[in-house]
Amino acid sequence: MSDTLIGLVSQYSPSGQERGAVDWLVARMKSLGYDDAFVDNAGNAVGVMGQGPKQVILLGHIDTVPGEISVEFVGATGPSPVLYGRGSVDAKGPLACFADAVAQVGAKGGWQFVVIGAIEEERDSDGARFVATQYKPDFAIIGEPNQWDRVALGYKGSAWANVTVKRGQVHSASGKQTACEAVVELWQAVKSFTDSYNADKPRAFDQILPTLRGMESGMDENEQWATLKIGARLPVECPPQDWYAKLNELAGDAKVQAGGYAIPAWACEKNTPLVRAFLNGIRSQGGEPRFVYKTGTADLNIVAPVWQCPAVVYGPGDSAMDHTPNEHIDLNDYRKAVDVLSAALSKLTA
Amino acid sequence: MSTVACPECEAEVTLDAGTEVGEIIVCSDCGVDLEVTSVDPAAVQLAPMEQEDWGE
Repeated sequence: MSDTLIGLVSQYSPSGQERGAVDWLVARMKSLGYDDAFVDNAGNAVGVMGQGPKQVILLGHIDTVPGEISVEFVGATGPSPVLYGRGSVDAKGPLACFADAVAQVGAKGGWQFVVIGAIEEERDSDGARFVATQYKPDFAIIGEPNQWDRVALGYKGSAWANVTVKRGQVHSASGKQTACEAVVELWQAVKSFTDSYNADKPRAFDQILPTLRGMESGMDENEQWATLKIGARLPVECPPQDWYAKLNELAGDAKVQAGGYAIPAWACEKNTPLVRAFLNGIRSQGGEPRFVYKTGTADLNIVAPVWQCPAVVYGPGDSAMDHTPNEHIDLNDYRKAVDVLSAALSKLTA
Repeated sequence: MSTVACPECEAEVTLDAGTEVGEIIVCSDCGVDLEVTSVDPAAVQLAPMEQEDWGE
């Protein structure tokens, strides 16, 4: 059952270099009996099982962060085999689990399963942004590592900004505030605001979590300037536009420049047939299901607001291994996750 | 429609007609989330624990 995982992890595919892994997964899904498998116009690997009008999208990502790790089994013949390799957890484990589970379930009357290995998730989610425009599924399952017996129901949003203060040159003995002093004061104001906002919110998922990612300053004969690079992990209640508005309010005469893609947080509805199917599936494998909310972002944040359908995030692996040099996955957990997902898909489409 | 005791506070919880197994309901007395594990006979248990994690 682990051949898909081992083969996929063996195809090193940091963002921007996914094609070998994509071609491998397409061929693998064909060999597993999918009705169709192809590379879409964004470069994602796509496998289709079944022809029905109702659709379940299983969206994983096939790219990894850079940093190749030798693909290696530890304890292969023992009771707790482990597979090392870049992406074994984040997120080829979940993606391979999707491919294997759909093959295990096969075609179900009235339904279509679409397994997608999206590119570029670790950068700007180009693959998922394309996918979001191509489908309108009835249910969506996003692949990220959350352990085989947990269902993730929410991922925080994120927004980045450079905030720059400029001041005319002054003599250092003048007692006037410098640009550097002004941005330090601004950062303290940001922290003060978020501390106050977070005070009555015990869950990190509901808080605004700002981080100071960098500081730069400089001057010439006429002007001095200082810039803060501020990142923020955002709750559902504070979409990026509200955060930028608050930053502008706090910044006064400083210039706030948004950077990269801002992503809103997303929380999945708990009372859906999809969640119930997973609870049933986890119990069918002897687990006690748990829900989890994540402080990171995922392709869920890209597709869920567009599709507006019941969604969850699922996949084997411990996300504490994400992006680490010793990334590895427990193969027993992987196999349990395949069986959980198979049971969930069978119940959902019964 | 049937009733069952909340496992947290023992208050009477009503299951509406059409309630499904796996549905998450809220005890109106103590506010705890409950998962419906059976509708005939009615049974509930504390809903899956909610956790938080860093990372993707």
